[in-house]
Amino acid sequence: MQRKDFLQEPVKHIKINGKLTVDQLIQQFKNSGSFGAGRLSTACDIYERMVRDEECTVFLALAGAVVPAGMRSVIADLIRERLIDVVVSTGANMVHDAIEALGGHHYKGHWLVDDYMLYKYHIYRIYDVFVPEEDFTKLDYRLAEMYGEIAAENNGKSLSSNEFAWELGKRLNDSNSILRAAYEAKAPIFLPAVRDSEFGFIHWLHASRKNCKNPLVVDAFKDVPEIINICKRSPKNGMIVIGGGVPRNTVQSAALASKKGMDYAVIITMDRVETGGLSGSTLEETVSWGKVKSSANKVMVIGDAMIIFPVIVASVLERLGKDFSRMPYLKHETPKAIGGS
Amino acid sequence: MEQKAETKQKFCGNCGNHNAYNYPEEVFCSMRFSENKNPIVPTLWCCEKWNPSSQECYCVEEAMKNKKSK
Repeated sequence: MQRKDFLQEPVKHIKINGKLTVDQLIQQFKNSGSFGAGRLSTACDIYERMVRDEECTVFLALAGAVVPAGMRSVIADLIRERLIDVVVSTGANMVHDAIEALGGHHYKGHWLVDDYMLYKYHIYRIYDVFVPEEDFTKLDYRLAEMYGEIAAENNGKSLSSNEFAWELGKRLNDSNSILRAAYEAKAPIFLPAVRDSEFGFIHWLHASRKNCKNPLVVDAFKDVPEIINICKRSPKNGMIVIGGGVPRNTVQSAALASKKGMDYAVIITMDRVETGGLSGSTLEETVSWGKVKSSANKVMVIGDAMIIFPVIVASVLERLGKDFSRMPYLKHETPKAIGGS
Repeated sequence: MEQKAETKQKFCGNCGNHNAYNYPEEVFCSMRFSENKNPIVPTLWCCEKWNPSSQECYCVEEAMKNKKSK
């Protein structure tokens, strides 16, 4: 490298007027190319490339309480529009999706509140979002009944978390539901840490019921060949990660196990790298494992996913235009669900 | 003092097995659910399996207020 190689592209200053669309603002960020603005514009470019690449399967790894905070419809719409092919989520996000599908709500609250008073009113707090306990209780009651129904229909056969999620989606009559959208689109939706959420407590309720002889069996190990198979059969793979944790590693590990590594990666997180935890680990670190290719189109955006992700989606939808349509690569290969073996 | 004595009364709304259902009038009883009985019971009801909740809540107090105002 020579000195002049470091000084190729001057920063262009952001220009704002009252008529900017979301994508026009992102283009201004791209002109700057700096800090969070530069990373956000790169994330939009990478997501656009992912969905325009006809050989790419797009994974969304979902962690953090984005569904209770209002991200539900964005994700359900992306699944229906085939702009996300596979979802890997915490159980909790799908619990909150199901709460709303059953008529419950999340409420705008505040982080400065007497939490013991909330406890006494049976209200749960997720930072500045409040959830009344009765919405959880109604979920418990209804889903425990559904678990019984699903167990009876499957007659002792274990389900992968994807099959379990589709069974729930089949029974939730709400077009804004992520679980419902995934079921209707036959988009795989894996919940690798399913028991670490209300779904686990509901299983305890269901299984400890008097005369429950054949409780529902969800086998998370069954997910492993299913998701690896998706990565293997797809010529290219891309991931968008919200948060990190188990969902991020489930997607990355599938890319590693299929000996491919991700071709595209966008990670939105606020976690730090120094603890060695996966959620804050850099994409370069992920390259060392072979989970993301060194040549991949990749960027990590440090920021609140509640702001970043909708902006990326709005920008990319604007670029794609109304006439754009997309079919997941593996749907061309087989009429079956792409998670099918 | 009066309020404390009131919350110690045997009601589903201060039993360890209750969760809010139709706050404050009705609660969900996980014990009854496990026994295949109707788990939705009045907050101000009680059965022989009552056991005190380890932390207080407003269920009984508010259910009583509502009852008085009706």
